[in-house]
Amino acid sequence: MTSGTYSHNFSRRTVLKGAVALGGLQVASPFIIQARGETPLRIGMVDPMTGVYAAVASNEVHGAQLAVEQINAKGGVLGRPIELLVEDSANDVGTGVQKTRKLIERDQVSFIIGDVNSGIAQAMAQVTAEKRVLHIVSGGHTDGITGKDCKWNVYRVCNTTRMEANSISDLLFTKYGKKWHFITPDYAFGHTLQEACAENLKKLGGTVTGNELTPLGTSDFSAYLIKARTARPDVLLLLVQGSDMVNCLKQIVQFGIDKQIHVAGTQQELESLLALPPEARIGVWMFEWYWKQPNTPHLTEFVADIRKRTGGKVPTARTWFGYTSLYSLALVANREKTLDSVKLALALGDFELPAEVKLQPNKVYYRKGDHQLMTSAFVGEALSKAAGDPEDLFRVDTIVAGDQTSPAVSETGCTLQWPA
Amino acid sequence: MTQLLLFNVTNGLIIGTFYVLMALGLSLILNLSNVINFAHGGFLVVGGYIAYSITPYVGFWGALLIAPFITAAIGLAVEWVLIRPLYGRDPLYSLLLTFGLAFILEDGTRFIWGAQGKPVTVPAFLAQPLSYDLFFITGYRLFMVAMVAISVALLFVLLRYTRLGIRIRAGTLDLETVAALGINVRVLRSLNFSVGVFLAGLSGVLAAGQLGLEPTMGSGLLMPSFVAIIVGGVGSLPGTLLGGLLIGVASGVTAVFFPQASEAVIYVMMAVVLLIRPRGLLGEEGMMT
Repeated sequence: MTSGTYSHNFSRRTVLKGAVALGGLQVASPFIIQARGETPLRIGMVDPMTGVYAAVASNEVHGAQLAVEQINAKGGVLGRPIELLVEDSANDVGTGVQKTRKLIERDQVSFIIGDVNSGIAQAMAQVTAEKRVLHIVSGGHTDGITGKDCKWNVYRVCNTTRMEANSISDLLFTKYGKKWHFITPDYAFGHTLQEACAENLKKLGGTVTGNELTPLGTSDFSAYLIKARTARPDVLLLLVQGSDMVNCLKQIVQFGIDKQIHVAGTQQELESLLALPPEARIGVWMFEWYWKQPNTPHLTEFVADIRKRTGGKVPTARTWFGYTSLYSLALVANREKTLDSVKLALALGDFELPAEVKLQPNKVYYRKGDHQLMTSAFVGEALSKAAGDPEDLFRVDTIVAGDQTSPAVSETGCTLQWPA
Repeated sequence: MTQLLLFNVTNGLIIGTFYVLMALGLSLILNLSNVINFAHGGFLVVGGYIAYSITPYVGFWGALLIAPFITAAIGLAVEWVLIRPLYGRDPLYSLLLTFGLAFILEDGTRFIWGAQGKPVTVPAFLAQPLSYDLFFITGYRLFMVAMVAISVALLFVLLRYTRLGIRIRAGTLDLETVAALGINVRVLRSLNFSVGVFLAGLSGVLAAGQLGLEPTMGSGLLMPSFVAIIVGGVGSLPGTLLGGLLIGVASGVTAVFFPQASEAVIYVMMAVVLLIRPRGLLGEEGMMT
């Protein structure tokens, strides 16, 4: 093989190197710092700003940024303004851990928030526990974070997978039927969510006709849907999220499966509904927070403030997660008048969110025994035709308090070990 | 079980045809220009988003026709400015360049159109399944297969019967001799690159109708196309065709028995082919040394 201007000097080795590099493309990410200044109190936020969860992650950041702006306008934390440092985990565990270490060791952040991805959030929790930094998991749902893997320094804002399953299982069983088939993302979040739903179904006397474990980032669900329809269940439960949810729902409707089998699921997000064509916005789901609620104090102002930041777009559950995570840290630090992680972690136990932060009717508080936020589930139905506002794509039928969907602390498997 | 298997083989063939369209563009560029175009997935996304943007003005059919040409024009500009200076160098230079370009295209689409996914609606008559039993064969999926078949046929006609095609094929075998015969190799490479990117743009428009749009969708669809080329054989367009169909079927059949391995199976196939027949199933001796 000769080399020259026109020669074919690529080899199998080069092609294979290319394949390895392309594999690297999935995990590599540009180094992003979205805010850096001279302000003394730094809070680090790690979220997948690129990759399949980029849309939900950017909404979490919008919420956190609004909270920073509001808190700083009121005097900051202990008289110091907050600076939010945002890092991209690129939906990769290794990157998420590396960015968390960088924020703590190099940028000297006082607190950490993140990640959307359960696997990354769990790995980050190992780092924050080792470094003794107070950490709020904004959007990773897998049970272990406030269950068997719970840590003294880690709190969580979003629901657990068990809470999600409990919020909707009874309704699906009574309304749609007793034979369920699952389309489940093949990672920590999907596994625990499917286990919780299957356990509830078993208690209710139903049967699981199958569980299709799908790789994260699947674009074509046809093979799984063929299998699911052949099993003839009463309900097809979609546990996938993000672009996977969008692709799966689109294909279900294209195949006409929704006309033969009830389509539903647990967690649904406004980001996914917005990415769907009207005919694919179907099914019964639970939202973890919704922007349209009658008579909820401070909600209108919050929606208006977010619209100003996002070019008119309404807040989603993810926006509220980011907002609440940051506000929780600031409120407890101001109340306790300290930045000491152990003292603040103790103080957050049973800490109740004020009306201007909780933005929902029920009592919302961090449970002392497992550090889980007792937040509501908004159960209802996706709307193919928007109800007035083009972003009003979900009808909330019931709002179930976190106390009612969460298992008792003794059932979570959480045993908190506090530092000496 | 037999019915389920047959369904999935058919379904795999449908999925495979899409990989074929992607892989053919990738293969064209690789064969003639020696460039492993990692940005191919990025061009796919650009094609899809361009179609999304112009659909309100020209409709679905107009977008299907126009968007691939706009994408090809962008590809031509990229080749002209960025890739051409690297032809004389080690292929790793162009590999690294397109690797970076893939990031730029993905982040660029995110910057322009936002991270939030976009819904794309196809004409209603295409959005229906053929029958109750063959529910997985929708009008749109058949349309995609037809579009791929037409594109492949036109590409083969172009390569076999036109002067440009004959020069591209000759260049694939021995570019130095082609240059020595007085053919403008620069123009040949540019046209070949833009044909490859045209196919990426067309794939993007078709994928948008099937899946909707997300800035990240290109990287997910690129890897199977890359595998299709290696399985089918670098340097062989019929091999690429075969490779694409084979990995589609393998993925579909695996989903019946071991769903979580339906993605991994194509890489296992690639490893097996590389071990047993390193040049690929229909690859030419010497192309994969």
